[in-house]
Amino acid sequence: MRTLIKNRREMRTSIKILAALLFGALVTAVVPSGALAQKASDPAFKVKLDFDRWHDVPELYADMAKLQAAFPKFLKLQSIGKSFDGRDLMVMTINNPDTGPETGKAAMYIEANVHGNEIQGAEVCLYTIWYLMENYGRVDDVTRLVNERVFYIIPTVNPDGRQYFMEGPGGNARSGHVPVDDDNDGLVDEDGPEDINGNGIVEQIRMYVPGKGDYRISRLNPNIMEPVPFGETGDYILLGSEGIDNDGDGLVNEDGPGSYDPNRNWAADWQPDYVQRGAMDYPFQLPEARAVNDFLMAHPNIAGVQSYHNSGGMILRGPGAEAVGEYPMSDVRFYDELGQNGERILPFYRYLVIWSGLYTVHGGFIDWTNDGLGIPSFSNELWNGGQYFASPELKEQQKDPESPIAPNISRYYFDKYLEFGDEFVPWKPFDHPQYGKVEMGGVWKKFQGRVPPRFMSEELCHRNMAFSLYQADEMPMIKMGGTSVEKLGGGVYKVFVDITNPKLVPTIMARAAQNNVVRPDILTLDGKNVEVISAGFIDDREVYKVKPSVIEAIDQKDLKRILVRNGYPGKTTRTLVYLLKGSGGVTVTYDSVKGGKAAKAIALQ
Amino acid sequence: MRPNPKRFRLFPAAVGLIAAVSVLAAAVPAAAQEAGKYHTYAEMTGLLQSLAGAHKDIARLASIGKTAGGRDLWVLEIANPAGIPVRERPALLIAANFEADHVVGSEIALAVADALLKGYPGDAEIKSRLDGSVVYIIPRLNPDGAEGMFAAVKSGLRTNLAPRDDDNDGRLDEDGPQDLNQDGFVTLMRVKAADGEYMIDPDELRLMKKADPKKGEAGAYKIYWEGVDRDKDGFIAEDPAGGTDLNRNFMHAYPYYKPDSGPYMVSENESRALMAWTIAHRNVAAVLTFGESDNLIAPPAGGRPGASREIDLVRFAEAANAAARTVGMIRTGGAFGFRRFGGREFSAEMMGEFMRQGRRQTQTPAEEGRRFRMPDRKAPTAVLPADQDYFRTIAAKYAELTGLRQPLYVREPEGAFYQYGYFQFGVPSFSTPGFGLAGRDSAGPRQRGTAPGAAGEGGLPGVAQWRQETASGEAAPVRIPAGAQARMQMIQAGGAGQAGGPRMGQGAGDAASAGIDKQLLKWMDSEKIDGFVKWTKFAHPDLGEVEIGGFKPYAAANPPAARIAELGASHLKFVLYLTSLFPRVKIASTEVTNHGGGIYRIRAEVENVGILPTALSQAVTARAIKPVMVQLGVAPEDIVSGSAKTNFIPSLDGSGGRTKYEWIIRGKSGAVIELKAAAEKGGSDTARVTLK
Repeated sequence: MRTLIKNRREMRTSIKILAALLFGALVTAVVPSGALAQKASDPAFKVKLDFDRWHDVPELYADMAKLQAAFPKFLKLQSIGKSFDGRDLMVMTINNPDTGPETGKAAMYIEANVHGNEIQGAEVCLYTIWYLMENYGRVDDVTRLVNERVFYIIPTVNPDGRQYFMEGPGGNARSGHVPVDDDNDGLVDEDGPEDINGNGIVEQIRMYVPGKGDYRISRLNPNIMEPVPFGETGDYILLGSEGIDNDGDGLVNEDGPGSYDPNRNWAADWQPDYVQRGAMDYPFQLPEARAVNDFLMAHPNIAGVQSYHNSGGMILRGPGAEAVGEYPMSDVRFYDELGQNGERILPFYRYLVIWSGLYTVHGGFIDWTNDGLGIPSFSNELWNGGQYFASPELKEQQKDPESPIAPNISRYYFDKYLEFGDEFVPWKPFDHPQYGKVEMGGVWKKFQGRVPPRFMSEELCHRNMAFSLYQADEMPMIKMGGTSVEKLGGGVYKVFVDITNPKLVPTIMARAAQNNVVRPDILTLDGKNVEVISAGFIDDREVYKVKPSVIEAIDQKDLKRILVRNGYPGKTTRTLVYLLKGSGGVTVTYDSVKGGKAAKAIALQ
Repeated sequence: MRPNPKRFRLFPAAVGLIAAVSVLAAAVPAAAQEAGKYHTYAEMTGLLQSLAGAHKDIARLASIGKTAGGRDLWVLEIANPAGIPVRERPALLIAANFEADHVVGSEIALAVADALLKGYPGDAEIKSRLDGSVVYIIPRLNPDGAEGMFAAVKSGLRTNLAPRDDDNDGRLDEDGPQDLNQDGFVTLMRVKAADGEYMIDPDELRLMKKADPKKGEAGAYKIYWEGVDRDKDGFIAEDPAGGTDLNRNFMHAYPYYKPDSGPYMVSENESRALMAWTIAHRNVAAVLTFGESDNLIAPPAGGRPGASREIDLVRFAEAANAAARTVGMIRTGGAFGFRRFGGREFSAEMMGEFMRQGRRQTQTPAEEGRRFRMPDRKAPTAVLPADQDYFRTIAAKYAELTGLRQPLYVREPEGAFYQYGYFQFGVPSFSTPGFGLAGRDSAGPRQRGTAPGAAGEGGLPGVAQWRQETASGEAAPVRIPAGAQARMQMIQAGGAGQAGGPRMGQGAGDAASAGIDKQLLKWMDSEKIDGFVKWTKFAHPDLGEVEIGGFKPYAAANPPAARIAELGASHLKFVLYLTSLFPRVKIASTEVTNHGGGIYRIRAEVENVGILPTALSQAVTARAIKPVMVQLGVAPEDIVSGSAKTNFIPSLDGSGGRTKYEWIIRGKSGAVIELKAAAEKGGSDTARVTLK
């Protein structure tokens, strides 16, 4: 005993520790563990999901079902149709029935993964549903958003491509699975990639031929192969990718599943294959595109669209092709504000126009939703390699070609120190059935490059969700304001009604109004004993009192049902002025497909 | 038609004539043994079923889909199935009645079907075609709409019956035309009005024309469709039942965001069914459609679509409703409603600021200009020069076989199926109204940009072509509506290069060409066709005294039923001609040389013995047709040198166009090697060589 406790201080410490342990044990035995955990920690989540792993389609759908079961009041999970291989396309609807039916509210549509290999958008979608539900009732703005709006979230619109990517080596997964004869030999999808050595990766093949080859190991990094300069020889030759000539035509892996581009099959500026590769034969030919479009057209209350892709770190808007023509000024203005705020919410992402900032896209999804359906639309390209070395100081270092994080070798550095070599597949010897003794490897695993490192996934999810929730919050919302009645005598009254759209986005975009693709807003006046002599809008009542000429009479035949074809602009309050003859009461209703409906009852006296 | 008393005097002569004609008719396969008639959907279905039943060996009837109204879209496949599988033979697709009012096309297609079936195997030409190729006939692409020709009130609608809010006012199909004077026709109303744009044509009192103030003419009438303003929005018949114009619903030169082109390309059941069928039948090597556009009777020079020959009276009525789709653009008064910019008075400075800010993220190319952008590819809009010869030759033959020189009513194709057939599907593709005049009408409307009479005839082709090309590229003159509404529209349209914006006010009468109303009347008068309702007074409930009259629906687009038989006969000849042109791939020769040591040299020549190439230039440009494949049946590693195992040729010219191949292979003596040549539209051929 004497040797164990060296001094009094140590003994007191030991006694304290012992006491704490005893107390802890006692408390744990008596108090339920959950309550103990909640005492001072952050509140626990109701549904435990993880965002540092990648999910295949069955797990994704199981997670959605878990969420729906945990929050049945707000969540509805349905299939909108089937993919080519017969998988469901699942949509989660978020709506608070206590604040009104879906159709009366503006809805935000969020989807991901139209390219099968662009997977992380599905995790962002899952995170969005989870976050909104977990924080409803806890964070005021989240509660308000869920009460005011509707969300339609489809984590994967290409489950065939996603599953093919997750199950296989990852190549050829951009497309869906509608068969296409890529090599014109009359057979479809007969020669896709194979994983000969069974490690789940389609690797490069090299053969060691000392002094006789045209490739050598790079001096910068032993993992990289580079061609030798003219006049020199190296020790290696490259023999292409793993694969077998399935159809015996002398070519390897020339006709895998697909391939077309599922994001070129939409009906705005759709162009045939020779103008736009991968566009298929006609718009909405693909079952997935058709199902999504049928859903969109059946829900005209959708006033915002986000389609997650990877990669590059961009917040994209249309037009996809220069010839389509820039959006009208009033549309550009709100897009710019949303996009510029987006750049602050998503560091390393740039707000760009598709054709000028990325490349020309004909028949792309957000061109269709913007032009053909009149919905303000963004497409985010998730993840930017610049995020590997994020600080200004490191960016400076990268300019030095000798730096260990110089751009051409930076990801090897990151892989080594941050991912412990997990993502790179080193060269290993293999006895190839056709070529003999070779080495295979030298490639990145399918999750490297377009997809963020797993440990950075949750931040990517949260920030992109935040941008989409910001876009959703700025969808139009019509409100009726104050009213007043001026009695002019002889049964004639002048009625003023303030109408406001406090949000950034108009109820109908200028281009949508030109194209007549959205039902106009309808302003109705109901009153049993009332006839409308004239109607008009003014900007400012006080100005009108002094300058009555600012009113422009609405020149329509039926003034009890006024069409507002160009919708209500964003951040605008105007006053509607009616000149009425009659008596009793009237109800003025402003009905907007994307801005909701607002009504006000006014007594004529 | 009123009975002509003169006929009775000619009766005995007529009997003799009829007898003579019957004898002749028996000798030559007659098109439609019954006297020509226009068939309702039920009658057509019954006819198709009985034809297919009576000729089971060579006819197969199937439905490619259903319309919104639940009617079937019938396709009749006519071929002798013995021998080469039907799907591997070149095929002709005949499709008709896309526009609901063009029912004569349906009848000509049915007559051709009847003649082909009845002429097999007796007629040698028919036998040869049906043994070696296949003819698909879709006689009625728009059965819902076509049924309107047989309704109690004939409205002449052109669309299908899928509901569509044409004026986008939130009400669906709420205001269609009405037969107010109960004469069984929907025609027009003319109303005296001080601000009317139109006047009675002094040269032809039945017709109206736009008053030209420059010539001191004063308008005195407004023109509307017959009907009342049911929804009280100030327009009459601006949102009838239906629909989409099927020949405006396809993907080449698709007219975006017009009310009759549908919500998007290939939106309609009918168009979707046709597209799905077409891409599943890639052996279709030529397309013949009957419709309201024309590239056979009077094909334009320069490969561009021909100018329209419209009916002014119809255009005037349509113009009355043009504004229905723009009513309701409300000006907010002030700085575009953007109060957050301070509610200041609008100023030029603010405008400039807006313009610059708006541009920031937009027209600037990629950062630092370093990134190379592929030049944006554009689809051609004219038949490629290398293909024009085929179109010219075929059109000339069409004129010879049918005797037609001038179509009557014709419109510019935009989103028409036959254009998809050439520009995207890549085959010779035609459209014809199927009937017309035997003589060119030199006083007819000009083709855009060319002087009368010069179009495609004796005029200098170079000059005519140049004029066509410069004129065709431009939009029709933009008529700018006056007033604040217009300013608002223009400002809202905004942005540089309003390329995506709508064409405003493409109204009647200010397009370059005048209407064919006079020619139509001349034709009707000379053929004794009762195709015009004389203007008669009527007391309109809202407009007061009006006059109702105008062309009878269906009369301009369809000749009398009695003409169907002869049209069927001449088009049968054209069909037989067209199907004689198909490309045919053959292995012309093979040769084996034994070099000893197990090495053999195989030489082969592959030839196209048909007239048409295996792929037109446009098909090669559009990668629309699989290249001809020539494949040697050996393992790739057995080829020592020479051609590859599988070879592709983008196109093989007709009339004996050839390619040569040579393989040096390792093989065993006595082995039989198969050589295969296959063309998507030119059939296939196999040869076997023995190594010895």
